[in-house]
Amino acid sequence: MIEISNVSIGFETIRRRTKKDGAANPAAESGTGDMFALDGVSLSIPEGCVYGILGSNGAGKSTLLRLICGVYRPDDGSVMIDGEKVWDNEKAKEKVFFVNDETVQFTEYTPKELANYYSCYYEGFSVEMFDRLTEQLGLPVNRRLSTFSKGMKRQAIVALGLSSGTKYLLIDEAFDGLDPAMRKLVKNMITDAVLDRGTTVLISSHNVTEISEYCDRAVLIHKGKIVFSGEIDEIRGGLCKVQFVRKESPVTREEIEQTGLEVLQYTLLGSIAQAILRGDSDTVSEKIGQVSSDLAEQIPLTLEEVFVYELKARGYGDETD
Amino acid sequence: MITLDVTGRLPIYEQLCRGICGEIAKGVLQENDRLPAARALAKELGINPNTVAKAYGALERDGVIYSVAGVGCFVAKQKDRADRRFLEEFEQKTREAKKAGVSEEMLRGILSRVYGEKEKHGQPGGDGK
Repeated sequence: MIEISNVSIGFETIRRRTKKDGAANPAAESGTGDMFALDGVSLSIPEGCVYGILGSNGAGKSTLLRLICGVYRPDDGSVMIDGEKVWDNEKAKEKVFFVNDETVQFTEYTPKELANYYSCYYEGFSVEMFDRLTEQLGLPVNRRLSTFSKGMKRQAIVALGLSSGTKYLLIDEAFDGLDPAMRKLVKNMITDAVLDRGTTVLISSHNVTEISEYCDRAVLIHKGKIVFSGEIDEIRGGLCKVQFVRKESPVTREEIEQTGLEVLQYTLLGSIAQAILRGDSDTVSEKIGQVSSDLAEQIPLTLEEVFVYELKARGYGDETD
Repeated sequence: MITLDVTGRLPIYEQLCRGICGEIAKGVLQENDRLPAARALAKELGINPNTVAKAYGALERDGVIYSVAGVGCFVAKQKDRADRRFLEEFEQKTREAKKAGVSEEMLRGILSRVYGEKEKHGQPGGDGK
């Protein structure tokens, strides 16, 4: 179980961690407001699930993953893996393999050499599995990574990650750069790891449909804060779209709000009023019964729509702004 | 056998449940037939294995299927179990139709036409009643 409690990390901390000089930037340190890459984030990730990390651009997805694998130390709060703090803790870090989004390091090595390297660090590394996976993927294991395409590099690192046998596998921009056939193959390899070893997988992606299809739980981050988290079906059930038809005069936003429902968005198309409402299907259908209309039709939302409406409600991606 | 609409509005586990009930109703899956293993189905459809497990769990609770530990899931003896989902859907659609002003006679017309067809052509399967 990964437990993240009230974690905050400033951009300045990350800058110092990334830049070799390590010099403080006093101007940034004295600032307030949007100085946090993550701001008071709490999240718990149960074992054996496939957890999707969604977010607007620059929301803090990669920062979250780097905190979980102990690359960054939080300024505030704690990141615990199986009850142990992960920062500077070799025992906890041994349970985690992180597939970085940025250009793969060690490009002067061949996958085979990297397998040898990782097998020194990860006790559970399986050379047999590495051979099998790279064969399935058709990867030349004795060629330097620098000669690989972007997709091939990712395949190689994911194969190394799966072979490491860690309890937790973190993949930043999970299926980026993979063609549809390789996507399916890699997904099926992850499925095997989940079923055979109970591996907990965290994947970040911009592709909401892919997350909704492949993950059982997800979190949406926006500007360093959590918008929602939980089981995907529950998240999808948290908002409803309702179409109201009334011939004499269209249903107004105020009429819907009078029932006590939160209206995230209201659009009028001729005599049809369409509203995005907060609440599960049962609550919403009970409340909209109070609005007089010829027809009130509930339409379930996709995860992608929930993503867009929740962020629009926070002023992100809204064309009218 | 089951296809998913990943951009669809129904949750994937619900699509799986309906898909399996559909196969049972059509007679593709029959009593005591073994369902595909969660792993095989998850891989085939490119979805999370936990989602398949969730769907199988829901179907087992409804008595549509039964599981044998270590062996797999099988189609249970069907009375009206697999049909329940269709009936719920039917009732909901009927309510919507009523609200939209469709008369009972019109719906009855559809019913007798559909059931008339079945007798005429002797279609296999049907709803098993």
